[in-house]
Amino acid sequence: MERYDIAIIGTGPAGLEAAVTAVIRNKKIILLGPEDLSRKLARAHEIRNYLGFPAVSGEELAGAFRGHLDRMGIGITAERVSAVYAMGDYFALQAGEEMIEAATVILATGVVQGKPLPGEEEALGHGVSYCATCDASLVRGKTVAVVAYSAAEESEAAFLSEICPEVLYFPMYAGTPALPENVRIIPEKVTALERPDGKMLVKTEKMDYPVEAVFVLRDAVAPGQLVPGLETEGAHVRVNRRMESSLPGLFACGDITGTPYQYIKAAGEGNIAALSAVSYLDERKRSN
Amino acid sequence: MVRKIGEQEFLSEAKAADAAVVDFNATWCGPCRMLAPVVEAVSEEMKGQVSFYSVDVDECPELAAEYRVQSVPCLVMMKKGEFVSQSIGFKPQPAIASWVKSNL
Repeated sequence: MERYDIAIIGTGPAGLEAAVTAVIRNKKIILLGPEDLSRKLARAHEIRNYLGFPAVSGEELAGAFRGHLDRMGIGITAERVSAVYAMGDYFALQAGEEMIEAATVILATGVVQGKPLPGEEEALGHGVSYCATCDASLVRGKTVAVVAYSAAEESEAAFLSEICPEVLYFPMYAGTPALPENVRIIPEKVTALERPDGKMLVKTEKMDYPVEAVFVLRDAVAPGQLVPGLETEGAHVRVNRRMESSLPGLFACGDITGTPYQYIKAAGEGNIAALSAVSYLDERKRSN
Repeated sequence: MVRKIGEQEFLSEAKAADAAVVDFNATWCGPCRMLAPVVEAVSEEMKGQVSFYSVDVDECPELAAEYRVQSVPCLVMMKKGEFVSQSIGFKPQPAIASWVKSNL
């Protein structure tokens, strides 16, 4: 399998600047993320502190970024990365069905809004799961609940309904889910998960639902969940001035490292992260 | 080395070992596949001190239920057949190694 020097996850100012700098330094990169650049960027009304652009809209800035990428021949791979595994001397990235290998990783995914549900983390692995495909065989024949944060998770619920007699589906998004008959759609807001006596309880504003297991499926995952073993501080990745995380070879930049959430700060950190990744690669080459 | 075992060997070997780590996994689980080489590396690192085994939860559902494995991958550490500790999900090699050592 082809192994990249640097895999960059995220297409906001931090990820794009990291990509530009890494390419200038002749590294083989893969840039992963939404192709429409940062959706958040396009939403900004006016930015007044991005050097060289006294008054620019997010959309204009995104256009300028796009032009920069095109001129350097940098493409975007529009895959969602669901997990990054630190394998020792390289990283394995789960992107859809595919596994991508890279010597280093730069995390620039932005900050994940939204906290875990009360009781969710405490029951992880003891009734709460994040992976329906992984843990399906352990809940065969049982009543399970799915707390879903986007319509993309409906296929997971449909899959569970093939092996579980009853699936309770709690859509935490707008719209009408399309699901098989034995999936009971409960349009109530989930407020907490509890594990009173070995079984799980899904609590909503209206009532409590007892089940054997709960699958919490989110569109965006917290950094510690995306990269198992990574040191985090709340929603942020712990980094030093060189943008190095607690895992050697993994760097983070932009909003994911903490406030201030500013475009120019994100781009600056992207530049540092790429240069740190380059020196990490060079040092490793020398010691081999 | 990590040895793949079934229910029989679990009872006769893993439960009899002074210290054993059992990797409960499933063939269709991505994180399990990624954890396998990590556990293999830790087993080399700790050769002679801890025995390492691998159990497919689809082949041994009763074992998985007995050890309350509700999410895979799940590592279970035992000493002379007694449950000591459990580690859930993928973790990098240093984290798995220190988990094993802290429970020795």
